[in-house]
Amino acid sequence: MNASRARMIWSVVTWTIVLAVVFPLIWMIVTSVKPQSELFSIPPTLMPETITFEHYRRLLTDTPFLQYFRNSMILAVTTTVVVVVLGTLGAYSLVRFKYRGRETLATLVLFTYLMPSVVLVIPLYLMMAKLGLANTLASLVIAYTTFALPYALWLLRSFMSSIPVDLESAALVDGAGRMGAFVDVVLPQALPGIVSTALFTFILCWNEYLFALVLVNSDSVRPLTAGTMNMLITSFNIDWSLLMAASVMMSLPLIVIFTFLQGTLTKGFGAGAVKG
Amino acid sequence: MAEVVFEKVRKTFGSTVAVNDLDLTIDEGEFVSLLGPSGCGKTTTLRMLAGLEEPSGGTIRIGDRVVNSVPPAKRDIAMVFQSYALYPHMTVGKNIAYPLKKRGIREPERSERVMATARLLELETLLDRKPAQLSGGQQQRVALGRAMVREPQVFLLDEPLSNLDARLRAHMRAELIELHRRIGRTMIYVTHDQLEAMTMSTRIAVMNAGVLQQFATPADIFHRPANVFVAGFIGSPAMSLVEGELVGSGGGDGERRFRVHCGALDVALPAGLLNRSAAPGPISLGIRPEDILLGSGHHTAAVGVVERTGHESIVRLDAQGTPLIVRTPGDTPIESGETVRFSLRVERLHIFDSTTGLRLNADTKDS
Repeated sequence: MNASRARMIWSVVTWTIVLAVVFPLIWMIVTSVKPQSELFSIPPTLMPETITFEHYRRLLTDTPFLQYFRNSMILAVTTTVVVVVLGTLGAYSLVRFKYRGRETLATLVLFTYLMPSVVLVIPLYLMMAKLGLANTLASLVIAYTTFALPYALWLLRSFMSSIPVDLESAALVDGAGRMGAFVDVVLPQALPGIVSTALFTFILCWNEYLFALVLVNSDSVRPLTAGTMNMLITSFNIDWSLLMAASVMMSLPLIVIFTFLQGTLTKGFGAGAVKG
Repeated sequence: MAEVVFEKVRKTFGSTVAVNDLDLTIDEGEFVSLLGPSGCGKTTTLRMLAGLEEPSGGTIRIGDRVVNSVPPAKRDIAMVFQSYALYPHMTVGKNIAYPLKKRGIREPERSERVMATARLLELETLLDRKPAQLSGGQQQRVALGRAMVREPQVFLLDEPLSNLDARLRAHMRAELIELHRRIGRTMIYVTHDQLEAMTMSTRIAVMNAGVLQQFATPADIFHRPANVFVAGFIGSPAMSLVEGELVGSGGGDGERRFRVHCGALDVALPAGLLNRSAAPGPISLGIRPEDILLGSGHHTAAVGVVERTGHESIVRLDAQGTPLIVRTPGDTPIESGETVRFSLRVERLHIFDSTTGLRLNADTKDS
């Protein structure tokens, strides 16, 4: 009796929290398919009376949304690849090779991560301008790498350090070179860590706003965040329908990626293969 | 061909000397154990031979080749790790096939050799499993299989049995002896377990604090320990070592005669027991537990703890302040607290110089 009541209270509490978290998302989707006329009706309608995809059509055909989407995709994928490659090799070096100042280096890397990005944005803009990279996707790739890489290094370092050295030694004795052992043994073991790092970096790039706003200023290179804000929010008017449709479209890639990678993300390490 | 030679090999980590001027020649086809307590340098020695550690000095040869700067992959060795180090993301079959794959051996030969190895180790039914799904003994066999499949010149085994339970360990000891007999390759085996070393090896290299203490057959190590360390380390329970004094008792016939005074023990040594360098002075007297005979004799001692294991009893004696350990048949009627008489098999006593620790018995072999 008591137990079941406790369970019921738990359920109510949990569901309340879930609903509170999910409501903005639901509202976003619902608003994006409501006709303009229904948007501000009082009382508000939770379920739209008529469903329209007019806003999506307008977004895709009448605005540079697809261009922004493409820019964001290039930006996020490139940065993720760069960060994962550098992060994996760097973390491996920090864990496996012994050299002077290794620990200091690791700590310094973390310090750069602690620097608030807002103090970097203007100097970075000036540097990019000097380098002739202002208003290019490359400038954003470099900027995002500077703050994603330190975190990636630390995350991957902890993953790498949990891989037994014996596995690599075994691969070396079995006939692999240093690089072969890395590819055959270390990478598969570090895969969950690499996937987490890639996902983290991708989301960071996809959602970044400040640098996107400052470093680029033409539609041809503007990513989604800055582009959407620029296009739909003006001092005089916010186009809610389009904004919500754009928000749904922006969330889609992340939802798709999460769905596919869930398995890898939650998969544990090869437990039990190494004893002692 | 696949003789393994260490010449003045050193390894230092910072200011710590892990292996100190090691000279060791292992003949082809031998089963040699590197035996010693933790931190004695035995694993470092093995890892240097494998190419996983670089020697700080000296030369390592496998066959005719100096391998100091040869990468592990090119040394034609295989190694079994204490942790087994099976690749967790590969199946048993892929684990065993990995060394072949890395050496460019193609299908179908690769699969044939994996199957042959699997049959030998009774792993055929497990080839599709992942290491995590295997028991400790099975993982051990996969690790062995991965080492065997390539038929290397030299096998290196780093405490491969230490993670198994006692029964499986005894079983695997026998299997390893059989395996060595069958494939006849040089095997170098690191262990801190003297039972493993004694039962499996053709020769044992006893190490302590980075220094080779003795390199000899198990029988020699047991019966003619080169120094106090080896004497105390080999044998279970350990030899009783008693500090004492060697005194000359000049036999009239010109033959040198000695006695030892060790606390309450005063023993006349048989003629010819000691070598030429023996001279009166401080010594350590070593007595194996089986060389003390209870029941009669002119020594007496109080009986301390009696550990009965069934077929034998280990008895701790206190001979007027001198602690001794005795092995006696399990049916010996003896109780803690009583006083017993005992005698020593004087021809089997071990005498060591107290200052150098070296053996003074005449049967000492030059090692």
